[in-house]
Amino acid sequence: MNAIVLSGIWGVVMMFAGLFLKSSKQIQWTALLGIIALLVVSILDYQAHSVQAQTYFGMMTIDVYTSWFSILITACCAMYLLIFHKDIAAVGKNEAEYFALIFFVMCGVYLLASYSNLLILFLGIEILSIPQYILAGSDKENIKSNEASLKYFLMGAFSTGLLLMGMTLIYGATGSFDITSEKFVGQFEQLSSMSSLSFVGILLLLISFGFKVSAAPLHLWTPDVYDGSPTAFTPFMATIVKVSVFVAFIRLFHFSFGNVSDAWQIAIASMIVLTLIIGNVTAVYQQSLKRMMAYSSIAQAGFMLFSIFAVNSTLAYKGILLYSVVYSLASIGVFAVIIKMKDYTYDGFNGLAKKQPVLAFTATVCLLSLVGIPLTGGFFAKYFVLSAVVEQGKYIWIVVFAVLMAAISAYYYFRVIRSMYFKTGEAAMHTEPTTWDKTLLILNAMIILLLGVLPSLVFG
Amino acid sequence: MLNLVWLVPLFPLIGFIITGLGRNHLGKASGWIASLAILASFVVSALIFIELKTLPEDIAEHTTGSHVVHLFNFINTHAMQIAFDFQIDALSSIFLLVITGIGFLIHIYSISYMSHDEGFGKFFAYLNLFVFSMLLLVLGANYLILFIGWEGVGLCSYLLIGFWYKNIAYTDAAKKAFIMNRIGDLGFLIGMFLLYSKCNALDFKSIENMMPTLMNDPSYITAVALCFFIGATGKSAQIPLFTWLPDAMAGPTPVSALIHAATMVTAGVYMIARSNFLYSVAPIAQQVILIIGLATALLAATIATQQNDIKKVLAYSTVSQLGFMFMALGVGAYTAAIFHVITHAFFKALLFLGSGSVIHAVDGEQDIRNMGGLKKYMKITYITFFIGCIAIAGIPPLSGFFSKDEIMMHIFTHGTNGKIFWILGMLAAMMTAYYMFRLLFITFHGTYRGKGHPHESPALMTMPLIVLAALSIVGGFIGIPEVFGGHHALNAFLEPILLKSQALQTSIYELSHQNEILLMGVAVFIACIGITMAWFGFKKYNAADTTKGIAKFAEDKWYIDELYDKVIVKPLFGISKWIEKIIEKAGIDGIVNGVGRLIQVGSTKIRLLQSGLVGFYLFMFVLGIILLFALQMWLVKF
Repeated sequence: MNAIVLSGIWGVVMMFAGLFLKSSKQIQWTALLGIIALLVVSILDYQAHSVQAQTYFGMMTIDVYTSWFSILITACCAMYLLIFHKDIAAVGKNEAEYFALIFFVMCGVYLLASYSNLLILFLGIEILSIPQYILAGSDKENIKSNEASLKYFLMGAFSTGLLLMGMTLIYGATGSFDITSEKFVGQFEQLSSMSSLSFVGILLLLISFGFKVSAAPLHLWTPDVYDGSPTAFTPFMATIVKVSVFVAFIRLFHFSFGNVSDAWQIAIASMIVLTLIIGNVTAVYQQSLKRMMAYSSIAQAGFMLFSIFAVNSTLAYKGILLYSVVYSLASIGVFAVIIKMKDYTYDGFNGLAKKQPVLAFTATVCLLSLVGIPLTGGFFAKYFVLSAVVEQGKYIWIVVFAVLMAAISAYYYFRVIRSMYFKTGEAAMHTEPTTWDKTLLILNAMIILLLGVLPSLVFG
Repeated sequence: MLNLVWLVPLFPLIGFIITGLGRNHLGKASGWIASLAILASFVVSALIFIELKTLPEDIAEHTTGSHVVHLFNFINTHAMQIAFDFQIDALSSIFLLVITGIGFLIHIYSISYMSHDEGFGKFFAYLNLFVFSMLLLVLGANYLILFIGWEGVGLCSYLLIGFWYKNIAYTDAAKKAFIMNRIGDLGFLIGMFLLYSKCNALDFKSIENMMPTLMNDPSYITAVALCFFIGATGKSAQIPLFTWLPDAMAGPTPVSALIHAATMVTAGVYMIARSNFLYSVAPIAQQVILIIGLATALLAATIATQQNDIKKVLAYSTVSQLGFMFMALGVGAYTAAIFHVITHAFFKALLFLGSGSVIHAVDGEQDIRNMGGLKKYMKITYITFFIGCIAIAGIPPLSGFFSKDEIMMHIFTHGTNGKIFWILGMLAAMMTAYYMFRLLFITFHGTYRGKGHPHESPALMTMPLIVLAALSIVGGFIGIPEVFGGHHALNAFLEPILLKSQALQTSIYELSHQNEILLMGVAVFIACIGITMAWFGFKKYNAADTTKGIAKFAEDKWYIDELYDKVIVKPLFGISKWIEKIIEKAGIDGIVNGVGRLIQVGSTKIRLLQSGLVGFYLFMFVLGIILLFALQMWLVKF
C-alpha cells in the first residue's frame, strides 16, 4: 500500500513547500503533482495486489475491491483539486497547509479502505476527521467558519467517544481487535451465540458511522458545518470524505457483522427513513444553494445507506462504488459553479444560462444526476443500491418510500435549473471562469453522462 | 443485388433529410432531388425484381421464394429479440415497383403542380418521408418493422392532409385521419401483443412455421386475425373507419393520388395478403372481411354517385374499390386482391392526377357543377381521364377489367352464398361505371360553366398522365386468365408465398370456360348499362337540379359523420369534461398540491431543529441514540 505512505509523505512535503516556495502558483502545482503521483501509485498498487494480501503486521487487508476503490476516490480527489486548487489557495494565507491537510485526509481514506483491525479503523477515522476540523475553520477572520470548526470538533469528539466505547465493548466480547481473527469471526457467526456486549457495541459503532456520514438523527452538525466552512472545502468534506467512510462502514458491517444483520438492520432502516425525510424535506425550504447542497448531501447519504442495509449483495458493492463516484463528481460540479457566484441564493442564479451557458449546462447535468434522471450516472447509482434491497427481499416498502423521496428531491434540484434557465436576472459572478475551468467542468459532466450509459466502467 | 435492398428505403430517407434541412434554401431544386431519390429507389427495385424472377427454380423453392436480409438487431434484450430485417419476395418486390414507380411519376407531376406553393421544399420532404415509410412497411420481415412503416405513413398522411395548415377545415381533416388511423392502429397493436404472447416472435417466417400448432386454437387465431383487420380498416378506409378518407382530399392532389389512392390505403390489403397463412385458417375472420368489404364497396359507391366535388367522387370510388380488394381477401383470393391493388394504383393515380390537372386548369375550382366542356380545352387530360374511366369501369381489354373480373370469379364460386355476393358486387360495379362516367360527362362534356379560361397543363404534368394511361391499358396483361389462352403471370409469380395457405385452403376457382366467358359477358354488359345511364343522365347536365329523397341521402353521405358525432364524439367529450372536472381538478390536482403544501409546511417545521446551539444538538444526538436503540431492541428481541 504505497499510496498510504506517499500521501503521508506528500502532506509533509506540502508543509515544507509553504516554507520554501514563494509563489502560490508553485504550491498549487506541487499539490497537483502530488495528487497525480498518488493516482499513479494507487494504480500500481491495484496491479500489484490482484490477490488478497495482509500487510502491516496483519493490521490491513488489501484486495482488489479496496485498491480499486482507492483509485476511484483518488481520481475524484484529483478532479476536486484540479477544479478547486485556486479557490483553496484563495481561502487564507496558509495555502500550503490546506493542501497538506487534504493529503493527510487522503491518508486516512486509504487506511479506511483497507483496515482489518479496529484500531486502524479508529486511526483512519481520526486521521480523516482532525484535518477537517482545521479546514472547516481555515477562514480565520470569518466567525461562521470558526463556529463551524468548533461545532464540528465538539460533536466529532462526542462521536469518537461512542466509537471507542463500541470498540471496547466488542473487544470485551471477542478479546480481539483483529476482524479476521477466529475469535472475532466466531463471535459474529450467528445471532444466538452473540453476546449482549457485542450487540450494544455494534449499535454504538453504527451510530458513530452514522454521525460521520451525516445520517439522521445524528446529522444536526452537517448543515452548520458545511454552510460555515469555506466553500472550497465543503465539496471535499461532503464527497470524498463522506464516501470513504461509507466504504469503511460497508466493510465492517458486511464482512464482519453480515451474519448478525438482524441485530442492526432495524436501526439502519430507521436511520434511512429519517435521513431521507429530514434531508429532502428540509432542503425544500432552503434559500441558499450552499445550504441546500448540505441537506442534499444528507439526503444522498440516505440513499447510500441502502448499500449498507442490503447485506451481502454484490449489487450493493457495485452500487456504493458507482454512487461514490457519481455523487462525488456531481456535487463537485455543482459546488464548482456555486463558488463562482457572488450570491449563493437561488435568486443569485437567475439568468445564469444566458451569461455563462457552459456553467449552467454542466450544473444542470450534475443536478439531473443528483436527482437520478436516466442517461446520467445518478440514475444507475440509485438503481443499483435500490435493486440491492429489492434483491434482498426484506423491507421493500423502504424502496418505495425512497423513490417518493427522490421525487421530492427533484423539486429543489430543479429549482436551480429553473433559476438558471427560466428566470431573468443578473447572475453576478464572484470570479469569471477561465477556459480551463470550463473544460474541466465539461469533462466532469461528460464523465457523468458516460456513466449514465456505461455504468460498468466503475466496476473494475 | 438482394443484399443491397436497404438502398431502396435509404434513397428516399436521404432525400428527406436533404430536402427537409434545405427546405428554405434549395428552392425548386428540392423537387428534382426528391424525384431523383425515388428514381434511384425505382432502379434498385427493378434490379431486385429482375433478379428475383430469374433465380433458379430450386433455390426459389427451397426458400419458398423469400429472402430475409438481416440489417441489425432492433430490440435485443434477454426476454425479447426482434431483428431489423427486410424480406424480399414476390409480394414485396411487386409493391416496391408500384410504390417507387408511381411515386416517381407523382413526384415529377408535383414539381409542376406545386410550383407556386410557398411550402414547396417542405412538400417534397414529406413526400420522400412518406415513400421511405411505405417502403419500410412493405420490406419489413416482421410485424414490428411493418408497424413502424405503418405508423410512419400515418404520420406523413397527417402532415400532408394538413399541408395547407392555415385552413382550419384542412387541419381538422388531418386530425380526423390521424385519430381514425390511431383507432385502427390500436387494433393492430393488440393483434401484435396477442401474437407475441403466444409465439414469442413477430417475424412472418416463424409465425408461418408455427401455424400447424397454433391451428389447434381457432378462437385465438380468429382474435389475432380480427385485430389485424381492425388495423386494416383504419388504414384502408373500410367500414366503420372509412370517413377520414373523403375528408383527406383536403391535401394537395398529388398527395391524394399517391397516398390516398395508390399506395398507403392499400397497406391494409398488403398486410392481410402478407398474413395469408393466418387468415386462411380463420374462416370467421374471412367471412367478416368479405361482408365488410362488400358493404363498404356498396355504401361508398352509392355516395360517389351523388358527390359534386371532383376529388370526393374519386375518394369514395377509392373506398369502394378497396372494398372490392377486401372482398377478394375475404374469399382467400390473395393474388386477385394484389392484382387489383396494382391495376387500381395505375388507373386511380391517373384519375387523381387527371383531376389535379383539371383543378389546375380552372384555378383551384373543385366543384364539377362549375366545370363542363373541358374536353376541348385540355385534350390530353381528357383522353387520359377517359382511359382511366373505362379502365375502372371494367371494359376489356383495359386493366380494370381483368383484376375486377378475377375477384368476381372467386366470389361467384365461393361457398353457398357466393352467388348472392356476386350479384351485390356486380351492383357496386355498375354504380362504379355510372359515377365515373357521370363525373366524366359533367366535367368534360357540355358547355363550360365556370369563370376564366381553362388551359391544358404543362408537359411535366401531362407526361405522367400519359405514362399512367398506358399502364392502365396494358397493366391487366400481367394476369390474363387461362380462358383467353394466357397464363396468369402474376399468379405464377406470387405462388411461392401463398404455398402454405393454399395447402390449407384452395383458392383457385373451378369454373368451366363456358361459364367463365358467360360471367365476363354479364360483367361487361352491366358496366355498359352503367355507362349508358350516365350518358343519358348527364350528357346535357343542368347544374341547377337539386337532389331529393334517396339521392339526397347519398349526397349527404348517409349522415354517417353526423351519426359518429352523436353516438361517439359527443358522449366522449361529455365523459372527458366530467373527468377533467371531478378526477383531474379535484382529485389528482388536489392530492398533488396537498402533498406539495404538506412538504413545504413540514420543511418550515423541521428546519426549527437546526437551532445552531451545540448543546441542543448534543441533546438531540443522545435522543437519537436512545431512539435507535429502542427501535432495534423493541422490534428484534435480543
